[in-house]
Order: sequence, then structure tokens, then C-alpha cells
Amino acid sequence: MSFFLQYAWLIPALPLLGFALITFTPLRRNKLASGWTATGLMGLAVVMALGLLVGVVGAGSTESHAATTTTETHGEATTETTESHGEAATETTETHGETTTATTESHGEAATEHKAAFTFPAPVVVQRFAWAPAGSTNFAMGIYVDTPVAVMLAMVTITATCIHLFSIGYMAANPRQSRFFSFISFFAAAMLLMVLADNLLLFFMAWEIMGLCSYLLIGFLYERPQAYRAAIKAFITTRIGDVLMLLGLVYLWTQAGSLAFGTAVGEIFNPEFLQRIGTETGFMGMTHATLISLLIFAGTVGKSAQFPLHVWLPDAMEGPTPVSALIHAATMVSAGVFLVARTFPIFEADGGMALQVVAIIGSFTALFAATIAVAQYDIKRILAYSTLSQLGFMVAAIGIGGWVAGMFHLLTHAFFKALLFLGSGAVIHAMEATPAIEKLHHHDEYAAQQTAQDIRNMGGLRTKLPWTFWTYTAGYLALAGIVPFAGFWSKDEILAHAMDHGHPIVYAVLTVAAFLTAFYMTRQWRLVFFGEFRGEHPVVFVNPEHQAEHHHHHGHADHHADDHGHDHGHGHIHWHESPTMTAALVVLASFAVTAGAFNLPFSMPGGHWLSHIWGQAGVGINWMVAGLSLLIASAGIAVGWFSYRNAFAKAQDTDPLDARVPTIFAMLNEKYRVDEFYNATVGRLTALLALLWSFLDRVVLDGIVNGVGHLTLFISRVNFIVDDTLLNDGPDAVADGTNAVGRQTRKLQTGRAQDYAAYVFAGTLALAMLYLYVIGK
Amino acid sequence: MPAYLIPSADGLPWLTLLLLTPLLGMVLVGIAGAMRLDDRIVKLGVLAWTGVPIALAALITAGFNPNATADGQAALQFVEKIPWIDSIRVDYFMAVDGLSLPMVLLTVVMTPLGVIASWGVNTRVKTHFALLLLLEAAMLGYFVALNFFFFFIFWEFSLVPAYFLIQLWGRENRRYAAFKFFIYTMAGSVGMLLLFQVIYLATRYAGAPTFDLITLGRLGQGLPVEGVTGSLRDVIFNYMQHLGVAESLGRYPLLYTSIAFWAIFIAFAIKLAVWPFHTWLPDAYSEAPVAGSVLLSAVMSKMGAYGMLRIMLPLVPDAAQYFAPVMGGLALVGIVAGAFGALANISGDVKRLIGYTSINHMGYVMLAIAAAAALPGGASQDSRAIAINGALMQMVAHGLSTGALFYLAGALQQRTGSWELNGLGGLRTVAPTFAGVMGMAMFANLGLPGLAGFVGEFFIFRGAWATLPLFTALAVIGLIITALALLIMYQRIFLGPTGEAAQGFADLRPMELWSTVPFLVLLLILGVYPAPIMNLANAAATQLVAVFLQALS
Repeated sequence: MSFFLQYAWLIPALPLLGFALITFTPLRRNKLASGWTATGLMGLAVVMALGLLVGVVGAGSTESHAATTTTETHGEATTETTESHGEAATETTETHGETTTATTESHGEAATEHKAAFTFPAPVVVQRFAWAPAGSTNFAMGIYVDTPVAVMLAMVTITATCIHLFSIGYMAANPRQSRFFSFISFFAAAMLLMVLADNLLLFFMAWEIMGLCSYLLIGFLYERPQAYRAAIKAFITTRIGDVLMLLGLVYLWTQAGSLAFGTAVGEIFNPEFLQRIGTETGFMGMTHATLISLLIFAGTVGKSAQFPLHVWLPDAMEGPTPVSALIHAATMVSAGVFLVARTFPIFEADGGMALQVVAIIGSFTALFAATIAVAQYDIKRILAYSTLSQLGFMVAAIGIGGWVAGMFHLLTHAFFKALLFLGSGAVIHAMEATPAIEKLHHHDEYAAQQTAQDIRNMGGLRTKLPWTFWTYTAGYLALAGIVPFAGFWSKDEILAHAMDHGHPIVYAVLTVAAFLTAFYMTRQWRLVFFGEFRGEHPVVFVNPEHQAEHHHHHGHADHHADDHGHDHGHGHIHWHESPTMTAALVVLASFAVTAGAFNLPFSMPGGHWLSHIWGQAGVGINWMVAGLSLLIASAGIAVGWFSYRNAFAKAQDTDPLDARVPTIFAMLNEKYRVDEFYNATVGRLTALLALLWSFLDRVVLDGIVNGVGHLTLFISRVNFIVDDTLLNDGPDAVADGTNAVGRQTRKLQTGRAQDYAAYVFAGTLALAMLYLYVIGK
Repeated sequence: MPAYLIPSADGLPWLTLLLLTPLLGMVLVGIAGAMRLDDRIVKLGVLAWTGVPIALAALITAGFNPNATADGQAALQFVEKIPWIDSIRVDYFMAVDGLSLPMVLLTVVMTPLGVIASWGVNTRVKTHFALLLLLEAAMLGYFVALNFFFFFIFWEFSLVPAYFLIQLWGRENRRYAAFKFFIYTMAGSVGMLLLFQVIYLATRYAGAPTFDLITLGRLGQGLPVEGVTGSLRDVIFNYMQHLGVAESLGRYPLLYTSIAFWAIFIAFAIKLAVWPFHTWLPDAYSEAPVAGSVLLSAVMSKMGAYGMLRIMLPLVPDAAQYFAPVMGGLALVGIVAGAFGALANISGDVKRLIGYTSINHMGYVMLAIAAAAALPGGASQDSRAIAINGALMQMVAHGLSTGALFYLAGALQQRTGSWELNGLGGLRTVAPTFAGVMGMAMFANLGLPGLAGFVGEFFIFRGAWATLPLFTALAVIGLIITALALLIMYQRIFLGPTGEAAQGFADLRPMELWSTVPFLVLLLILGVYPAPIMNLANAAATQLVAVFLQALS
């Protein structure tokens, strides 16, 4: 196992190699070769990550043998490897010049008292090198592997590999397939590096590079105005959170003296340090810990698309569907949750104030986004709002101190949401091959895609895409929270934690959100896979950007019947499921079914596994909560099923909910008009400020500059005239002098800089003379 | 020689060689002109010749010991000190330390890009290339000269080639821009020129007349200087009392160092384009020929920041500390103004837009300098040193990325015939390499981690947070708005459906590609591993800020 520990850095290096190969070598000319190269290297990373996981868990939980590999490289490249064999305690020796610390962790004990401060399991691998000088110290960078990191690495590599594999089939028709693989490999490298980072600066750097990849991939189809607008919106919206996070980092660095993970003196989880920032007041009566936590949390709000910075994620669905699955469902967006989990001791240090904010934002987003998802028609946007909502669950879980529950849900959600997105991709892929949409495709590509994504145009796909249907169903049941699928266990753990630790409001809000989740997913599942296929006469999306001969504009949500007739024969549709796509779906579906087993809430062999390896107390099953969640999920499914059982005989029908409560439905369908609100306020303000500044520059400041210039010229002219007319004939030597100045000044107007060069020299020379002969003596 | 002055190990005058090389190049261009050689040969010759200063600078860097300190300051190395005008104590004094060496490297690296950017020049070719070499010599001289006499000559003299480059090869409005640029900088430095006459007289009154910037800096920082007791503040104040000025203006030593501070600050603030002295910059950058924009933005604007580090902080640390909040405030306004100024140009002139982002970026440098000087507030020496390290890194990174951006904007204009951002779009489809290269330069410019600009910005924010947290917090607005402006710029050029501009639009030619790749590679290397630059500066920065640890006024 020591190989996997020693070479953990290979995990991000492999996809990075893939990126480099596909981008800079002739490999890029071959679509298939680049796809398989990227996938193959990701597969190798899976092996490395699983090996690492086994090694790390073995090192942590085996009582007899605990191996800690700590490598510190300083400026002079001194490498020191320490292998320590201890009992339950793992000793980390760090040669930081003067500090030597021992980190002791109680692994063997199943339970830590939950009131005690949160501690991470001890790291198993720490490798650092001096990165940049910072006054009297060096900023060190490197990797840091403990059990949460190892589990995250396994999850990310597995989902990424599945999505790579899926993309080979899905992106086959795209001429820029190589570039696509280059970007997603780069993304995977950044995500894995972020997970491995040994300090928050490296974490942030990788975090931002993921943001870049997200920008590039959302805008992958950059010819489309919708795509590049969504890309810019995503980059800027997340950057708002990121710059606040950056402030949090500089604040933390200023306070702690470094940004390194670890409990040693000068590292950010040092107990004395946490105690100090938890009590010292920083600004407006808040402690340093509160301020730092909230600033860091702003990064989460941006990246994990929590309210009020959630607006970018639904638009990000303009990217190809595998991107939505990988970046905007499974990995990058959950990085925000991972951030809070990673810096949890700081959040906790102020006695709960920061965590309260986290819990409020998280649970609000969970409910808020779930309500919007109820009234969407776009298959991907429903999933996007569902992602927002589920991320809200995770954030809320960590906010109420349910660290394990939040992380557990992050893992299970990654698998089943990636599955659902890929499933939706398979559906869209098949829909795009239907005659009505193919015809539209020649006419307007974007409208064709949007039409293919509209669930009103689907129906009855259960028999036509059986693999997709069954795998999708597994993901759907997992998300809806049906026992024994993965989502049930993790969601239930969050709810149980909320109930057991006295957060009834969070519990109630999340339960309502869970009900809505079951409802909107049933609506979608029902409309996509059951009933009759409605795609022969679809609701056609009208592209406002398209310049063609559309006479009237009606939006996506418009319920009017489509007036472009589509008369195609029935039965000529070739429903097709690609083998690579299906393989990826099956792998992910198996996780969606079984991932709950990673942390079963029972005291049995293998139970509480994640809690155990993460060194936290396991949450026992709360039968009342579990029963109630199951009841609520079933209720959601039942309501969804019966409401939509007879709905949409044809695509143009009105949604039953719309028929019942049209105003509420319209409000939800328009996403509470948050985007419009931002455009009218922040957007307008920004444009106005830009105008104001440019006015200030052009008119006021330049006015002053030019005014001074003209004034000088004017004076010199007056001077000249006075000299010329009144004094010219006078024998006065002063007049001659002034006159000379006047003449010289006039030349300013002609812009002869030769003279200026001469002046500079002459002036310097004259001053030198002055000293030499007058003052100096 | 004192311990803090270290001549080169082999006794060769390396810096003089470095300085003379471009001037010799000018002579060679002159000879080529006399021989009526083909313009193309001259171009190639000049390009090859700019490799010589690079080689020399590399050798100097190899022989430079970044950790050498002595007598409370970073050691100056490769010292050449020869009496020049003895009666006014002017020495030919050249040396480098951790503050100037990064700037020297930046200058020699950016000049070839200026040369390549001038490839399309067809009129008065030899003059143009001779001026580029002259500009390089003047900038190098400015960064290595340590006697005020030479320092100031190089400072002013660098304006001359820049002026002519704008005036003779610029765009429609070049006369106005060149004139404004020239007069603004000159007028701003009059105060500094006068100040140094006064300082000379004051030191003479104190018994040790000098124009030596290092000696004056030591005096200013209260480090021991042979023959003088007390700091520069005392020296100036005593002289003011001697003249009787103190009787009428008041017996406040800080008053006189404050006057000195403002004289120095305004001179350098104009060059650095600190708000509100920045309005010459968009005009000059946009009206200049591409080579002018490249060198002006990449190197010349850094002359201001370097001057602040070299002269302002060491000579008048008390006044710098007293006025640090003002500097910080101006920096903040500049950061915001530059960002919104760029945003206001998203449907206008691409060069103007990039110019405004430069104002924004130089605002961060100003913020770092202000923060390094600001009152303690619990800030350690490390925080201040980090701010200065960040500022130097930011200058190097900005030089590389903005230089590349201006160069690419020039390549764009050559193809479309216009500087306007309107009417473009969809060029990524026809010119994918162009789009990739410009995209990377743009992301380096907006401070994407992994590229050098981020390191500079992050260290600046870290350093500035310790002393000026409010200004630092507000400065992040600039990070968002600049990113927005640059992304929209990129979108307007490259994204969207292919339009008319894409017809016959050629991708980057190999020569264009390979002339930008070195800069992108440097940005990447320094972004991933910034130690090569920051190690050079760290010791010097740490020593420089030592004086600010105590409240000075």
C-alpha cells in the first residue's frame, strides 16, 4: 500500500497528463483516441484512488500498524520520511524549523463525544515543499491525505470515469470532441488537486481553475449567445463568492500565520488558535472566527449555488449534458460543501453563530429550489434545481453540525445525480433523433435542443429506452428517498441529526423539501417514461436569438399550440442506446442502489463505516424519523403519480398544477423572477457606474488636465503679446528673458519634443553649474 | 566600500555592459542605415540583438545573492561606483538589489516583444527600432542607477523615445496623447527635481553632501551613515531652521518631510497612473503604436512603483506612514475606476479597455505600497514584506500579461483593420489558436490562479489586509468588474456566431504564436512556482519595511 500513499499526487497528475496530451499533441486530431486516452487515464486514477483509500483506511483503523508518511521539502530540498508504528495514535512529525508536533487521534474508539470540539482524523500522507517566501517564513504547498480526502478522491475519480465513458458516445457527433475531453480532463485534475490540497491557498487555486473549466464547458457551444452568456454569468457570479472567500483566506492567514491544514502551532486547526479567534472580537462585535467563517462560506454560496448566488447554476445547463453531470451536479458544485466540511473547526470555533448562518442558507435553498423544480419543463433544469436543493440539504446538514451526514449525502448524491443527468442526456440524445426535432435541427439547432429537453414532448420512453429507464429509475428512487436506495440513508441521516440535536425548524423545512423532491421527480419520471410518446407534435422552443422567419416570439413556458405543423409518419424513429453510455449508466446505477451501505445507521459489522473511518460518532437510526421520511417520500410519489397520471395527453396540454393554481405556477415557473430582479438592480447599477466613471475621466479629470494645459498656454500667449508689443523694443534684459520664455512656451503647441529633451538636459546641466560655481563654493 | 555595497565578483562592469548593449545596438542600426541595408535585416538584427541584454541579465541574476543583507539593509550587488562630478558629489553609481533586479529582468524580456510588435512598421523603420533600443537603455538605466543625478536623467530621458514612438507611429489622435503623456510626466517630476536640490543642500549643511539614493535612504530610515548624526528628517529640519523657513511655516519636522513626500509621490503617481493622475494613460496606450503600448504598459508604468520603493519609502518613511491612508484611498479609487473604466469600453476601443485594466492593476500595486507603509495596527514585518513581494510579483506578471494582450490586440487590428470591439464575433471558429492564446493572456490578466497575476494579487491582498483591511475589502470590487470587462471583451471578439469579420480572418501565424508563447509560459511557471521572482525580492522587501514597524510620526 505504501506505493499508493507515496504517489498520491499521481491522482490529479494523470488527468492533467490527459489534458496535456490531448491539447498539445497530434492526438487532438483523433476524436476517438483523445476520448479513450482521457477515459483510460481517469480509469488509472480510479485505481490509484482506490489503492489510496485502502491504504489510508488500513493505516487509520488497524490498531497494530499506523503508517504516517510525512515528507517536508524545504528550500534546500531536504527530504525526511518518518514512519511511525503506534497503537491508535498516529504521529505526524513535521520539520518546520522549530515546531515539532504530535497529532493524536482516537481512532479505535467508536464514539467521540459530540459536544467536544470537532477533530479530523490524523493525516496519513503529508508532502510539502517551499512554494514562495513570505517575509521570514516560507509558504509551503503540498498534499494532505486523511480519510475524508481519500473517500472524496474515490468518489470523484469513479464518477469522472463514468462520465468520461459516457461522453465518448454522447459527444461522438460533435466536431470538437477532443477539446471537450481536454477540458473535462483538466477539470478532473483541478478537482482532485483541490481535494488533495494541504492548505487553503492551493485549495482556492484549484477551486478557481475548476471555475475556469466550468466557464469553458458551459460555453462549449460558444456560437450560441445563450451559452456564452451563461458562461460569463457563471464565472462572474461564482467570482463574487470567490473574492469574499479570498478575503476570508487572507484574514485567516493574517491571524493564523499560515493556511496549512493541521493542528500544529501555526496551522489553522491548532486548538489554541481556534480558541483565540473564537473569543477575540474582530469587527462589528463579531469574533474573528465568525468573520472568517462567513467570508469562506461566501465561497460556498457561490460555488455550491446557494441562495442568493444560485442564479448561475440553472443557466449552466447550456453546457453539454456530461458537463452538467460532472461539474454541475457531482463534483464542482459539491466542492463548496466540501470546503465547509474541510474548514469545519473554524466554523465551529465561535460557538455556533457562523454555523447558524450556514444552516439557514442551506435549508432555505433546499426548500426554495425544490419549489422551483416543481414548475419546470426542461428535463435538465428540473435536475439543476434539484441539485441546488440537494446541495442545500448538505449545507444545512453541516450547518447543524451533522458533518458526517452532510459528507455522506455529498457522496451518495454525486452518484445518483450524475446518473440522473447522464440518463437525461441519453433521453435527450434519443429525442434529438426523432423526426420532428431533426427537422427543426436543420432550421435552428438551439431550438431543436431545447425542444428535445422539454419533458412535455417526451412520454412513453420506458419501452423505447429500457436501459435508460431502469437506471434512471434507480437514480430517481435514490433522490426521492426510498429505502434501500442510497439517497434514503444519507437524507435520513441528515433529518435524524436535525431531530436528535434540536433543530426542529431545519428538520421541518428539509422534510417539506423532501416531499417536494419526491413530487417533482415523480412528475418528471412519469412524463418522460410513461404514457404515450408526444414528440411527434412537440411544443417547439422559439429561439429569440434566431434571426429566421419567426413571426411571433413565445417563450419556452408558453402554452400555445405549436403552429408549425409537423407531419411525420409514425414508427420510423430509431430509438438508440449507445453501449458506452449504457455502461456508464449501469455503473452509476449500482452505486445509486448500494451507496447507502457505506454508512448504514446500525451497529453491525460494516455499519457506520464512514463515521468510523472518519473518526466521528455514528448516528444511530431514529425509527420515527426514518418511518416519517419514508412516508413523506411515498406521499410525494403518490401525489405526483396521481396528479400527472392523466396529464399531457398531448404536448400542448396545460400542466395540472398550472390549471389549479396558475399564479403560483407562473411564479415558480419564472423562478421567482430573481434574475429579473438582479438585472434591474445590480446589472443596472454596474452599467451606470461604468458610465459615471467614464464621465468623470473624460469630462472632469481630463477637463482639469486640459484646462491647466490651456491656462499655461494662455498665460504664455499673454506673456508673448505683452512682450512683443510693449517691451520688445525696450533694452530691458528681463524682457528679453521673458520673451524667450514666451517663445519657448509657444513651442509647446507645436509639440516639438526634441526641445523638451534638450530642456531636460539643459536644466540638469544648469543646476549642476549652479552648484558648481555659485552655491557650491 | 561599506558592507552593503558588493561589487561584482569578477570585477567586470556588468551593469554598464547591460546598459551599453542597447545603445551599441542603436549605433549598429545607425551604421545599417548608412550602409542602406534592407529594413528586414535591420529588424532581424535588432531582434537578435535584444537577446544580448537578456543573456547579460541572466548572468547577473545567476551571480546575484538574494539573501545578502548587511548593516540593516539588503546588499546592493554588482556595484559600480565612480566619482563623476566631484564638486556636487555626483557618482556614477550603478547596482542592483532585490527590488530592481525583477524590473531589469522584466525590461529585457519585454523589449523583444516590442520589437516583434513593430514588425509591421514600414515608415522610418530604422528610426523606430533605434528608438526601441534607446527606450530599453533608458529604462534599464533608470532601474540600476542609484545616484539621483543619473536616476533623474534616465527617468526623464525614457520619455523621449516613448514620445516619438507615439508621435510618429501612433493613431489619429497621437499628437494630443503624446503631448499629454510627455508634459504630464515632466511637470509631475519638477517637484521631485527641486526637492533633491533642497535635500542636497540640507545634507551639505549637515556636513555630508550627497545625491546618493542609498545613503539618503539609509538616512531616511535612521540607519547609521558615516559623518551624519540623526535621520534625514532631522537633516532637512535643521536646514529649514537654518534658512529660517521653520520660523514662518512652523517647527514641525513632519511638515517638511510631508512636503518632500508629496513632491516624490506626485512624480511617481503620475507614472504609475494612480487616480486621479491617470487620464494620460488610456490616451497614450491607445494612441501609441503596438510596440509603444507594450513597452509603456509592461515596463514604463512600473517605473513609478519602483521609484516609490526606491526613494519614497526609504527617504520619507514618516510622511509615507502618515499619508498611507491617503495613498491607500487613492489606490482603492484607482482600482475601482480602472475596472469600471474598462467596463465602459466594452463596446469601444480594445486598447483603451486594456489600458483601463492596467490602471486597475497598478492600483493594487499602489495599495500594496500604501499598506507596507501604513501604521502598525498589529501588522508584522512579514505582512508588510508580503505586500511588497506581492507588488513586485504583480508588476512582473502584469508586464508579461498586458504586454501579450497588447501584442495580440495589435495582431487583431492588423487583420480587421479596426480597434473597435463592435462588429467582431465568432472568430474562435476560424482562429482557434488565436482564441486560445488570447484567452490565456486574458485569464492571466484577470488573475486566474495558476498564472502569475494571481500570486501577485493574493500576496498584495494578504499584505494589505494587515494594515488597511477596509480598503482591501473594498478593492475586491475591482477583481469582479475587471473580470467582467475582460470576459465581455473576449466574448465580443471570439464567441458567438461567425460574422462578417470572420471572413478570411487568419489564425495566428507561427511567428506570432511563438512570440507570445514564451510570455505565456513564463506566466504559467511563475503562477505555479513563483519563488524564482519572489526569492529575489524577499530579503530586500523585508529589510525595506523594517522601519515601518514602529509608529514614526
